[in-house]
Amino acid sequence: MGLNKKSGIKWLIIVLFSVFIVTMTISVIIVSQKILPTEDLRLAREALTIAKEAEANIYSEQDYKESIRLYDSAMLNWKRENDRFILFRDYSRIVANAKSSKKKAEEASDEAIKKSANLNLNVEAAFVVLAKKIELYNKLFKDLPLPKSVFDAHNKSKMFLSESKIAHESGKLKDAEILFKKAEVYVNHANVAAGKMLRDYFVDHPNWLHLANDAIAASRGGNKVILVDKVAHILYVYQSGKAIRSYSAEFGPNWMAHKERTGDRATPEGNYHIASKKAGGSTTYHKAMLLDYPNAEDRIRFEAKKRKGLISRNAGIGNLIEIHGNGGKGFDWTIGCIGLKDRDIDDLYQLVGSGTRVTIVGSIESLSVVSEGVDF
Amino acid sequence: MKSKLIIAIAAMGVAVLFSSCAKVPQTEIDAATAAVQGVKDSGADLYVPEAYSALVDSMKSANEKVEVAKAKWFPNYSKAKNLLAVVNQMAVDTKSKAEARKVELKAEVTTMIGEVKALNEGNKALVAKAPRGKEGKAALEAISSDITVAETTVTEVEALLANGDLLGSNDKIKAAKEKATAIQAELNDAIAKKGAAAPVAKKAVKK
Repeated sequence: MGLNKKSGIKWLIIVLFSVFIVTMTISVIIVSQKILPTEDLRLAREALTIAKEAEANIYSEQDYKESIRLYDSAMLNWKRENDRFILFRDYSRIVANAKSSKKKAEEASDEAIKKSANLNLNVEAAFVVLAKKIELYNKLFKDLPLPKSVFDAHNKSKMFLSESKIAHESGKLKDAEILFKKAEVYVNHANVAAGKMLRDYFVDHPNWLHLANDAIAASRGGNKVILVDKVAHILYVYQSGKAIRSYSAEFGPNWMAHKERTGDRATPEGNYHIASKKAGGSTTYHKAMLLDYPNAEDRIRFEAKKRKGLISRNAGIGNLIEIHGNGGKGFDWTIGCIGLKDRDIDDLYQLVGSGTRVTIVGSIESLSVVSEGVDF
Repeated sequence: MKSKLIIAIAAMGVAVLFSSCAKVPQTEIDAATAAVQGVKDSGADLYVPEAYSALVDSMKSANEKVEVAKAKWFPNYSKAKNLLAVVNQMAVDTKSKAEARKVELKAEVTTMIGEVKALNEGNKALVAKAPRGKEGKAALEAISSDITVAETTVTEVEALLANGDLLGSNDKIKAAKEKATAIQAELNDAIAKKGAAAPVAKKAVKK
């Protein structure tokens, strides 16, 4: 009996041990058959790093965030699965999430590369457009007697453009875009305001053209006639219908207005004559030729405006408008006179005498010619 | 007696088999996670983005290694622990790099603020030196407006710097310096053009 019991226990142990060994073997086989998500997660992680380097977080924000969410979700699920009994673990969802994360990250990278390349092109193109607008301002509007708000806006636009270029050089394209747009707002404001001022000024162009043609016609008999183009900043001497001289001229800071009263720093427009010539100690401007401003038309206009209250009762019409030297400063600095370089006034002084007709116009050329067809 | 001993040994074997799993190095994981967060809080993602990106990647890799070990019958976290130690060291290095870059940037910006302020003052002096009255007053008005824009930018940069926006302030002060330098050149050019022949009015003129 005792022997049978011992033998039974022995067999029981052998059976249990065998069952254990078989179970373990099967478990090991099952576990070894399960593919760990290690490789998929590594690939997803690497794709995320590449996407970050491509600035997908900026240019493809949604896809990038989604790829991160999928990766994090895969890692969380892996932790959960690992907390389960080894035989019951299921990595399929983790693998699926990791694969999706990798795919999204790659899509985000591709989109980011495309978008940043496009943005780079757009910003560079925008720099060119903005530079042209600033150039347009410098060419057409800079010397106009503009209100402070206009040149402030122009200066701000230049500042924002500089900042935008620095951001662009640092690879911060989004920042460059934001700054460029600010620059654009300011430059547009400045150019629109200055453009309106110029267009309003050119309303008188038909009259200027008439005056200029009349002056040129008056020179056909052999007389010398001076024709001053304020916009072009050129003083011409015509004889026999041809320009025989041209000099760069400078005016008062408020030159883009017809002179109306004392102190308005404007240069008059109309027909005048050289009343007298000054040289040596009689002028502080090297040499000078006094014009007969105001003429009859100026007086009529002055009185009419005074009556309407457009000009102060105490205001005078002004006088002492001259063509003189000391010019060549590169900007409009006189009080309303026409400033020439000393060597030019020397030449002109020799060329014309008292009584010479002087016709001053806003512009001989039309606005489209002056702006060289540039739309503003 | 002998059989009891065999049973006990077998039971212990099974027990050892199932209890031999090493524990997840949670303390090391928590420490590394906190270190990475500390690095992010220091602004390393902005000031040393490449180093920060490498750190984050290493942290993720360490987490993956933990799970790889955990997925085994007999987990061995030594590789994960080693990587977590590397992450901790990387975090320290990245944070110090970020701090150094911040100090460097702050010094750069502060120096440039001084330079731009000096340029602005110099430009104002140049404007003041230029003949007043009718001579160039209007032309200099536009330049004065430009100086004001540069001065306003310096004020904005100082505000950005006070708020800790070193990158924003650095870009802005560079632009301000460019502008102030351009104004200086423009003024010198204008003064040179004006030359020594600037006339002095001998008498008041009414025009």
